[in-house]
Amino acid sequence: MTRTRAFTAPGRPFVAPALAGAVAVLSFAGLAAPPAARAETLAFVGGTVHPVSGPPLAGATLLVEGERIAAVGSGVVVPEGARVIDVAGKHLYPGFLHPQTDLGLVEVSSVRGTVDTTEIGQVNPNLRAEVAFNADSFRLPPAAAGGVVAAHVVPRGGVLSGTSAVMRLQGWNWRDMTIAAPVGMHLWWPRASRAGWWDRTTPEELEKRRKEELEVLDETLERARAYGRALAAAAAQPARGPAPDPRLDALQPVLAGEVPLFVHADTLPQIEAALDWLAEKGFERAVLVAGYDVARAAERVAAAGVPVILDTVHRVPSRAWEPYDSAYTAAARLHEAGVRFAIAAGGAGADSENARNLPFEAATAAAFGLPREIALEAITLRSAEILGVGDRLGSLEPGKEASFFVADGDPLEIRTAIESVWIAGREVDRSEDRQWRLYRRYAERPLPAAEGE
Amino acid sequence: MTRDSLVALAACFALGAAPSATAQGDPVADPAVDPKVDAVAWASPIPDQPAAVLVRGATIWTSGPQGRLEQADLLVRSGKIAAVGPDLAAPPGAVVIDAAGKHVTAGLIDAHSHIAVDGSVNEGTDIVTAEVRIADVLDSGDADIYRELAGGLTAANVLHGSANAIGGQNAVIKLRWGAPPEDLLFEGARPGVKFALGENPKQSNWQVQDRRYPQTRMGVEQAIVDHFEDAYAYRRNRQQAASPGSSAIPPRPSLRLEALLEILDGDRRVHSHAYRADEMLMLLGLSERYGFTIDAFQHALEAYKIADELAARGVGASTFSDWWAYKFEVVDAIPHNGAILLERGVVTSFNSDSGELARRLNTEAAKAVRYGGVEEEEALKLVTLNPAIQLGVGDRAGSLEPGKDADFVIWNGHPLSTYSLAEQTWIDGRRYFDREADLARRSELAAEREALLAEAAGEAEEDPQGPKESDDPQDPDAPDESQDPAPDPPPSPAPTEVTP
Repeated sequence: MTRTRAFTAPGRPFVAPALAGAVAVLSFAGLAAPPAARAETLAFVGGTVHPVSGPPLAGATLLVEGERIAAVGSGVVVPEGARVIDVAGKHLYPGFLHPQTDLGLVEVSSVRGTVDTTEIGQVNPNLRAEVAFNADSFRLPPAAAGGVVAAHVVPRGGVLSGTSAVMRLQGWNWRDMTIAAPVGMHLWWPRASRAGWWDRTTPEELEKRRKEELEVLDETLERARAYGRALAAAAAQPARGPAPDPRLDALQPVLAGEVPLFVHADTLPQIEAALDWLAEKGFERAVLVAGYDVARAAERVAAAGVPVILDTVHRVPSRAWEPYDSAYTAAARLHEAGVRFAIAAGGAGADSENARNLPFEAATAAAFGLPREIALEAITLRSAEILGVGDRLGSLEPGKEASFFVADGDPLEIRTAIESVWIAGREVDRSEDRQWRLYRRYAERPLPAAEGE
Repeated sequence: MTRDSLVALAACFALGAAPSATAQGDPVADPAVDPKVDAVAWASPIPDQPAAVLVRGATIWTSGPQGRLEQADLLVRSGKIAAVGPDLAAPPGAVVIDAAGKHVTAGLIDAHSHIAVDGSVNEGTDIVTAEVRIADVLDSGDADIYRELAGGLTAANVLHGSANAIGGQNAVIKLRWGAPPEDLLFEGARPGVKFALGENPKQSNWQVQDRRYPQTRMGVEQAIVDHFEDAYAYRRNRQQAASPGSSAIPPRPSLRLEALLEILDGDRRVHSHAYRADEMLMLLGLSERYGFTIDAFQHALEAYKIADELAARGVGASTFSDWWAYKFEVVDAIPHNGAILLERGVVTSFNSDSGELARRLNTEAAKAVRYGGVEEEEALKLVTLNPAIQLGVGDRAGSLEPGKDADFVIWNGHPLSTYSLAEQTWIDGRRYFDREADLARRSELAAEREALLAEAAGEAEEDPQGPKESDDPQDPDAPDESQDPAPDPPPSPAPTEVTP
């Protein structure tokens, strides 16, 4: 049996496997040579470029060299040999950066063997999200087709769940798909309310658990500090250092302020307690990942200067007395208070398999009072800045990654078609999207013959 | 004051429905408020039904033969649509609404909902529980009713969960916020029953102590067969006992078997939870063998694979716009499902199965435009006319046509736009939701709530024994645990992942 590979060059149509096999047999009767990485120059001409970092540029050119944007503007000269792509009448936007997801860590939610989101135990700061990121997850191509070019992938479980990574949604393996890691250390603020309708934990047990988790947190950080002092002492004079502890090692960059602490706090009591704690412990680099209650603490969050990832616009108020649009208006209220924030999607039908619905959560925030340009920024440039990759992603500017898409209109509208998506200068191949393949196959199913049975 | 009464009071203020219609000209309204409303703990009075309402100058998406009309008017008389068209005259005393620049659609309909149910939606004990009835446990005080009204929803098919191959009897309701449970029921809706195939009835996704038959899709088919045969035997025995001169003892009356006979006689239509093409073909086979009628497959995420088979038998599909990958049987779900089904002639709706998604079914419909290029008016019918047909209320709701119920929504923009929101939602010619009024009352309600909380805190100081004895006294910010029960929740104990 001859092994064949069907490589699809950027921008070239998908070659059916059977045909590719035949070609390979004819030419090599063996392994096809892998294509060498080549730095192609692409010029997108005639469209409206929305850099996000500035106003839209009608009739501008976007020049891409290799993985990066080389130039943007109306006076850009297209170099000799560049592939020119006519996008007249179209709109170019930076790809979306999903600021809080488990994309790549889970395939089929109910099948345990495919889920790598949540470790056991309370203290796992040494876990690294990127090493479990499945480069060939079938969840990635549909997200990319929806304009999501990168994702902040976050581990869960316990109090300290490990470090997150910003991942590109196209590539060969997790190493070449990692844009940044570690992005942050993740702290899940202890909660004192039940997990859901099925949870029968008594209030006393909940309170006991909350206190225990806080003790675990403070004690762990205290131990990490002591460990750090011991390491420093050992470095200064050749004495015996402490026994190596990967967990405490992992916390050193956080204590040194090199890696920010992402504090996940959903409800107002959690958010307020977390803000108190951050101030008390003196963590200066922190990001709050919060539910819509954060809007009720907006003034305080703004004063503290803590950026926010607003976790999910599409939520039902969790209390009967709240206005029906409490979650929808949270982003607008944060904006009015001067809070810097990104928007994450997690509403019904928007777990990571539907990361493609991210722009529509931002749009709902706009429908309920957030200026439209801020809604777009909240899933592009602001998301990138809060995640510490503002120099790489989030806008169409020279030097940034060429990760963007071509659309026929406003991408926050569901009816807008996203026509092509480019990640680090390479076009996303639609044929890698399993959903698209099923669609094409069954859309062309012949009418069945008269049935028996 | 107990926590319960406090919450009830606060909630009652927060969720007060729109005040009665503000008329231009004399409002001709029925001032009588239904006395039964007082029995509902925290609902607000039912809005007036003006003798005539004229909505003027809007873009009207009729979802009917008139299509989409620009600069058109909608005339309502006594709760029914009287006319749709340009330049309609306002009857004397009509409530006139200037809707220039606005869009008007039929009220949205959710063909798969679990709101307004008191307690669990799953009777998970047995593989067949056809005797249980949603109508017996409707909770008209569920805040989700108001929240969904605020998203333009006017009717919902309230179903049991999916723990049983043959589950309970559904209830089609109108979201008449403030009405007692019995008045929520949509008059004339076809009686239905929930079936479920696949992973849920075979208990695949949660830990159960005592596993029961069936554990395979093969067993699901035979469980249905066994129970239908039981129902036929029950009828034969009863007929035999009733025949002249018979000495046979009549069978013990069984509400379960009576309900199965209603299904077999075609008096109760099937709404079957199903995901995979194989299991849908299986039930189609049984429906032919036993002669029952499937109004719609619910979820039906692989319906696109058998669209022609469904169309040939007139079986509808009530599906998600784009959900997938939350369990193995939905791995082949594609967002183009709706487009393929419509293309091949299947009556198709997009449902929510979620108290959250039901608040924005209009933009769910827009996904049929995005995935597969469905024409906009046809896409809107996924959440208006098509679910109405599936629920047997196509003659009453789902489109803006003379003679139909005046269930409609006024949107501030294009109804399929993510930037649009519902400004007013009308049912039976009554304005149940008015965003302007909702906004106007908020600060007043917040102040009242603060006052109530202060009063409660004062009482707590006077009598420290009191609140401490209650279950959960301390935190007014604690989420309400009754909110948003998970779709199709499993039998206890709960799983880590709750899947529909």
